[in-house]
Amino acid sequence: MQIYICVKHVPDSAAHITILDKNRIDESISFLLNPYDEHAVTEAAKIKNNTPDSEVIAVCLGKNDAEKTIRSALAMGADRGILITCDKNYDSMVTALALKAAIEQDGTPGLIFTGKESIDAEGMQTMFRIGAVFDFPVATNVVKLDIEVDKAVVDCELSGGITNTYEMSLPCVLGAGKGLNTPRYPTFPDVVKSKKKPVQKIVFTDLNIKDSPAGMRIVELEPLHQARQPKEIKGDAGFVAKEIIRILKQEAKVL
Amino acid sequence: MTQKKYDAIIIGAGIIGNSIAYELALKGYKTLSIDKLGGSGFGSTAGSCAIIRLYYSSPEGVALAREGYYYWLDWPKYLKTIDPAGMAYYKNTGAMVYKSEHNKNLAPVMESLDALGVGYLELTPEEMKQYLPNPDLRSFHPQKRMDDPDFGKPTGKSINGAVYVPESGYVSDPKLSTHNVEIAARNVGSDFMFNTQVVDILKKEGRAAGVALKDGTIIEAPVVVNVAGPHSYIINRMAGVEDKMNIKTRALRVEVAHVPSPAGVDWENTGIITSDSDTGVYTRPEVGNHVLIGSEEPACDPLDYVDPDDYNKNFTDQLKTQAMRVAMRIPDLPIPNKDQGLVDLYDVSDDWYPIYDKSDLPGFYLAIGTSGNQYKNAPPVGSFMSELIQYCESGNDHDKTPLQYRMKYINRTLNIGFFSRNREINQDSSFSVIG
Ligand SMILES: Cc1cc2nc3c(=O)[nH]c(=O)nc-3n(C[C@H](O)[C@H](O)[C@H](O)COP(=O)(O)OP(=O)(O)OC[C@H]3O[C@@H](n4cnc5c(N)ncnc54)[C@H](O)[C@@H]3O)c2cc1C
Repeated sequence: MQIYICVKHVPDSAAHITILDKNRIDESISFLLNPYDEHAVTEAAKIKNNTPDSEVIAVCLGKNDAEKTIRSALAMGADRGILITCDKNYDSMVTALALKAAIEQDGTPGLIFTGKESIDAEGMQTMFRIGAVFDFPVATNVVKLDIEVDKAVVDCELSGGITNTYEMSLPCVLGAGKGLNTPRYPTFPDVVKSKKKPVQKIVFTDLNIKDSPAGMRIVELEPLHQARQPKEIKGDAGFVAKEIIRILKQEAKVL
Repeated sequence: MTQKKYDAIIIGAGIIGNSIAYELALKGYKTLSIDKLGGSGFGSTAGSCAIIRLYYSSPEGVALAREGYYYWLDWPKYLKTIDPAGMAYYKNTGAMVYKSEHNKNLAPVMESLDALGVGYLELTPEEMKQYLPNPDLRSFHPQKRMDDPDFGKPTGKSINGAVYVPESGYVSDPKLSTHNVEIAARNVGSDFMFNTQVVDILKKEGRAAGVALKDGTIIEAPVVVNVAGPHSYIINRMAGVEDKMNIKTRALRVEVAHVPSPAGVDWENTGIITSDSDTGVYTRPEVGNHVLIGSEEPACDPLDYVDPDDYNKNFTDQLKTQAMRVAMRIPDLPIPNKDQGLVDLYDVSDDWYPIYDKSDLPGFYLAIGTSGNQYKNAPPVGSFMSELIQYCESGNDHDKTPLQYRMKYINRTLNIGFFSRNREINQDSSFSVIG
């Protein structure tokens, strides 16, 4: 089985991000493999290890520098990579068409992974658009996955912490969520091995992607300034401690 | 406006500045510490790895670090106070320093340790293995950049071994420790002003006479001490003393990486400090079962001297390069794709030894050029800087007859002239954070 993981080269969200010309960011900061895609790569590598004759291929549409992100996926267990090089950022429709063209040129997908969203655009659309162009079923925020002979059984987490289980025919498209696994970060030997793995480069324009009838473009980017809303908890230490626990449990839902 | 009268103004409320304020106050000086940031230790001290180690390239460096070590063991007793915000504490871990041609296989360090009666173990590569999780002890020297095709390729069968110093560790929280000193200094009469920037040094009759603040306020005092960390050269220019110094200081931008420990290893509680001159990195256990990784400035890495008020606070490839250098040694070390750590500044002198001295402007003193390695020494530096100020202010010529300072714990004399602004560049230096 050929397992394709669509990976995105995204800016580090912890960096100090500067907006230029009101519609793009200063890209002279670190970029990395989209964190949700790490779960996709980890899961794909796991399936590969349990499935004879399978192969994991990381595919990325991005600028030349995105090879780094492909190398990260290779260090985490992908076998080879395909980088579709372009010199601008495309919306999820064009991205899905380009990924499909590159995947079809390459082989026959048994499974396609994406992350449940990218941390830069947070569009949460690419997996659905890939499903649409291939005519494959799609599930996102996947937190559990079992591949059986001719189907995938997936648990998806919906808002409010509810989980639904679906049976999906194969091939299908899966958007990996955080709960799916703990990413296995590469070690030095993994990185050394990844340098020897092949990365094929395809020029975006050579894929002859037709303009889609509709599209999305960034009109204006504005930094979000979130005002903090501090609240003082008054009372004795015992009360304050109980109140903090209550807030963490009931409001923040982190306990 | 009537003002309190101050005997000394200390520019900078970092660990060194506050230690000087405390020690001066103990000697009866009425001090005022001024910092442009919001609290004590908010400057480069906040980013410090706070490692307390004894290996320095000079005997003076080793002795001073040993003296400092005892202050950290004695912390609350030394400060005679308990800070309501909590007390920083020293955590002993032991430190393993790798031998290499680069550090003369540590022969000078062992000689200094012997002279001070400090215990250590000389380890063969085989013996080093008990301190590290599954290490690769081949040589990777000389270091390379990550984009070099030979990056990470071993160059020799084995490193030369190491010296393990059991009495080494780190201080839990450098910022909190600086706050501890502030509280101690306030208890003995020191004042502090935060969010206040010094913009000029006042002079009267050929002497320092106080400072001018950004809002126009003038504060007078016969003694002014420059402890401005990475901004030290700016303050020296205000005082007009920089041109007259043989050794100068600059702000160097550095990155420190945090990566998780290898799976199944409790590095936070069982880890040691390592200084690996073969791969050019040092490490320290970090909370959250992480490993904290700093650079020892191998020759291939460009030194990024910057304007301390305008520099890149984002991570660059440097952070991952440092993490990968540890990963060569510890093949099970996981390297997350997302960089974690910090970017901060060292106040680097031309030979990476500090300047603890008077200046050519009477009344204006220097405790600068701490070169990424003086956190540990702050308490004894505070002590001898206060003596130096007394010594010079009572008419002695420190340039001609340098102050000889008695280190009370180790009962030895330190020639403070060693830290002179007018020394020749000390060629024994490692020219790195090692000092
Ligand atoms: C990343 C990193 C790791 C380190 N690791 C270690 C280690 O492991 N062990 C060790 O011993 N040492 C270490 N060091 C070095 C050590 O932390 C420093 O030598 C020490 O903290 C310097 O203290 P300081 O008080 O001189 O400077 P700072 O803490 O930088 O204080 C200077 C203060 O001066 C203020 N200031 C500057 N200009 C003005 C002005 N015009 N007006 C008012 N205020 C002003 C600043 O706001 C600042 O708060 C490290 C340093 C860094 C950056």
